[in-house]
Amino acid sequence: MSTGMLLGYELPEAGLPDPTAFLLAAARKAEAARVHHLVLGDRPAAGPAGPGTPASLVAVSLLAVSTSRIGLVMTAAPAYHEPYNLARMVASVDHISHGRAGWRVITGPDAAADANHRREGVDPVTDREARAREFVPVVQNLWDTWEDGAFVHEKGTGRFIDSGRVHVLDHRGTLRVRGPLNVVRPPQGHPVVLADASDPLVSAHADVLAVGNPDSALTAAQAGGRPRLGVVTPFVAATEERARELHALAGAPVSDPARAVLTGTPGQLAERLGAWFDRGAVDGFTVRFPPPGPDGTANAERIDEFTDTVLPLLTAAGRFPATYAADTLRGHFGLTRPANRLAERLAAGPERD
Amino acid sequence: MPTERQLHLGLMFWATGTHAAGWRHPDARADAAYDIDLIQEVTAEAERAKFDFVFLGDRLASDPSLQYSNPAQISRLEPFATATAMAAATTRIGVVVTANPTYSDPYSIARLLASLDHVSAGRAAWNLVTGADTAAAFNFGREEHWDTAKRYAWAQECLQVVRDLWDSGADAGSGPRPLGHRGTYFSVDGPLDVARPPQGQVVLFNAGTSDQSRELSAREADIVFAGMQPTFALRQAYYADIKERADRYDRADQVTILPGLTPIVAPTTEEAVELYDLLNSLLVLDPEEEPGELVRKGGIGEGHRRNLSSASRVFGVELRGNDLAAEVPAETLAAVSEEGALRLAEITRLTRRTVDGPRRITYGDLVHAAPSELSHTVVGNPEEVADMIQEWFEGGAADGFNIYPAYVPGSVTAFTELVVPVLQRRGLYRKDYTGSTLREHLGLPVPPRRPSPTSAVRSTD
Ligand SMILES: Cc1cc2nc3c(=O)[nH]c(=O)nc-3n(C[C@H](O)[C@H](O)[C@H](O)COP(=O)(O)O)c2cc1C
Repeated sequence: MSTGMLLGYELPEAGLPDPTAFLLAAARKAEAARVHHLVLGDRPAAGPAGPGTPASLVAVSLLAVSTSRIGLVMTAAPAYHEPYNLARMVASVDHISHGRAGWRVITGPDAAADANHRREGVDPVTDREARAREFVPVVQNLWDTWEDGAFVHEKGTGRFIDSGRVHVLDHRGTLRVRGPLNVVRPPQGHPVVLADASDPLVSAHADVLAVGNPDSALTAAQAGGRPRLGVVTPFVAATEERARELHALAGAPVSDPARAVLTGTPGQLAERLGAWFDRGAVDGFTVRFPPPGPDGTANAERIDEFTDTVLPLLTAAGRFPATYAADTLRGHFGLTRPANRLAERLAAGPERD
Repeated sequence: MPTERQLHLGLMFWATGTHAAGWRHPDARADAAYDIDLIQEVTAEAERAKFDFVFLGDRLASDPSLQYSNPAQISRLEPFATATAMAAATTRIGVVVTANPTYSDPYSIARLLASLDHVSAGRAAWNLVTGADTAAAFNFGREEHWDTAKRYAWAQECLQVVRDLWDSGADAGSGPRPLGHRGTYFSVDGPLDVARPPQGQVVLFNAGTSDQSRELSAREADIVFAGMQPTFALRQAYYADIKERADRYDRADQVTILPGLTPIVAPTTEEAVELYDLLNSLLVLDPEEEPGELVRKGGIGEGHRRNLSSASRVFGVELRGNDLAAEVPAETLAAVSEEGALRLAEITRLTRRTVDGPRRITYGDLVHAAPSELSHTVVGNPEEVADMIQEWFEGGAADGFNIYPAYVPGSVTAFTELVVPVLQRRGLYRKDYTGSTLREHLGLPVPPRRPSPTSAVRSTD
């Protein structure tokens, strides 16, 4: 586990005048400040806030080749994806980012998104829970269908792969997936899976847990030693009064079990975050920035303000490291690269040449 | 802007090369499929040569048994991730993503393509395929591959919904509007959450050979990626057929027909033939005793095997037991089958070796004589390759080509540095881009946002 607090930025999904420019600027800003990861939302339905950012896969792919150290977490719901496709998407982002990919898996019902994805034989509402339960391990197993080093590329002999190191999965449940995947095993082995600690369908398979409001977070023991990220939405300004104004202009969102809303000066916010971290309530935070407000405050400015004013105080207090200690997202979270569990399990099983 | 008809060129990106042994070439990058820096460099190289687009094929399964016959088909990066990275490294060249609706739904496809069109500022295209690959079904919860009729009926409705979704997204003038599609296969409320794509409608490619595919191409496609026909007359007939069908929809001038072309080019003819021979010498042959059921791609005859037994059957003469480098006696070649004779002419066209001249056809040539289903191969110096391109272009067989690099990145460089300048000098190909979107490269305007589709006025229940 890294010595300082873990920190990620969750970027808004809609209401941005130039989403591509915003994503690039926000990512560069966050990386320069050594923020560990970005979370890109992905709600496949139109909302009231105006046109959305690019689909999460496209957004993280763009950022993967525009940054070099920051982790990139795409969001995807089992309800709207096939596991084979999702596995290759996340694996591919892991390859092009050299081991910085993560996947936030969300499973909650969403009527508007469901209504965009009905097709013959597939209703996202039917089997939602059954699919979600199987989905994450199937994806992780697909990442393991090729062993490390299975692509041998022996120019001398013409052997391209070692066919003894590729495995069929043949999963047969609510989901049915044969495999092998059409992507080489990702650099991280398994890209990082993030899930809500409170999501009973997928949290058991997650590497990192979103624990919501740090005041009501589960304990390290309850998390099984996995990193816990509290969720906070900051309204920060030079004065407490101005911060309260910003909060009011944004519709005055309130804290709930899913996140803590913080209002105050940089010093006050750094204190709040530091206190939670110091007493071990959480291992770090996902900063969920508010959507661009009707006051015209561009969201980029809010990100800049938090980055420029709050982070230096956390660093000065020894709570937030000002350097990257690792090259991969697993590394940022203090997680090791997993062994290939499919290879272990199927070592004696049938194989395909 | 030149008024004469201009060639269109695309780059087929197969990281390991489109020649089955391309990756074994001493200069080839065998691991190119996962080297995003190299992929970006190759894209930028195609952009410097003013290519219309770089093209990503796709396959929704992996088949490790193809390692000697078609290693490019074993694995690759996901195309939307790759295309986004390609777009990020360039500013003008189009990026074409293959997406198969058979295993997807219109909202997902519309959204990914619109997103790619936004981040590339109007350079995205969709290659609509319905998949020839039965193995994909097992990766997507199905027990069988749908037949052609079902795949195209599904694809057609999917395409209609995708187009309606693109038009449902907000644009500069107006907000999003719901769709309420209730069709045979899909039920989609909409609107799209992403704004209308910069190109209005993302450029559409279609590749297929069936009647259904041709009809879809004629009605809907901006670019038809033509399959390979064995003779020039058949290529002209295919071209004319697509144009005639398109004319019925009043869009013959809007459809660009691009066959695949594998250029083996070097400064001199001798060097080009040497390169072609080198690549073929790197092919791994199948054992002669290989049982009958195995079907590979890239060999010849029944089962597509690459060995002398298979060649013996195709040519109708006994070839087994000979050294591949040895010349075949003229009397043996005089006795070949009718099909074999056609192949001998092809071998001479490619290798310049003949039945009875000073440089004679070898046993290896007969094994390597398999025609490609996807591209036409030409071997020669830059002028010879340009001649062939011009002949097809002016002879009613092509509007341009999707260039297949035999190995990466060397074959890309050879074509862009040696052949493109010749085409430019001849006035057949642009010296610079005149626009910045793929539609502009193709001379297609941004279509107006169409009125709400009829499905939107139907009640939602
Ligand atoms: C030149 C060409 C390229 C193709 N590329 C792909 C591809 O990348 N992925 C794929 O699934 N199918 C590909 N196909 C298959 C077709 O898209 C089509 O789905 C298949 O040929 C079956 O339809 P058909 O009967 O109309 O040919 C290609 C076909 C042709 C002719």
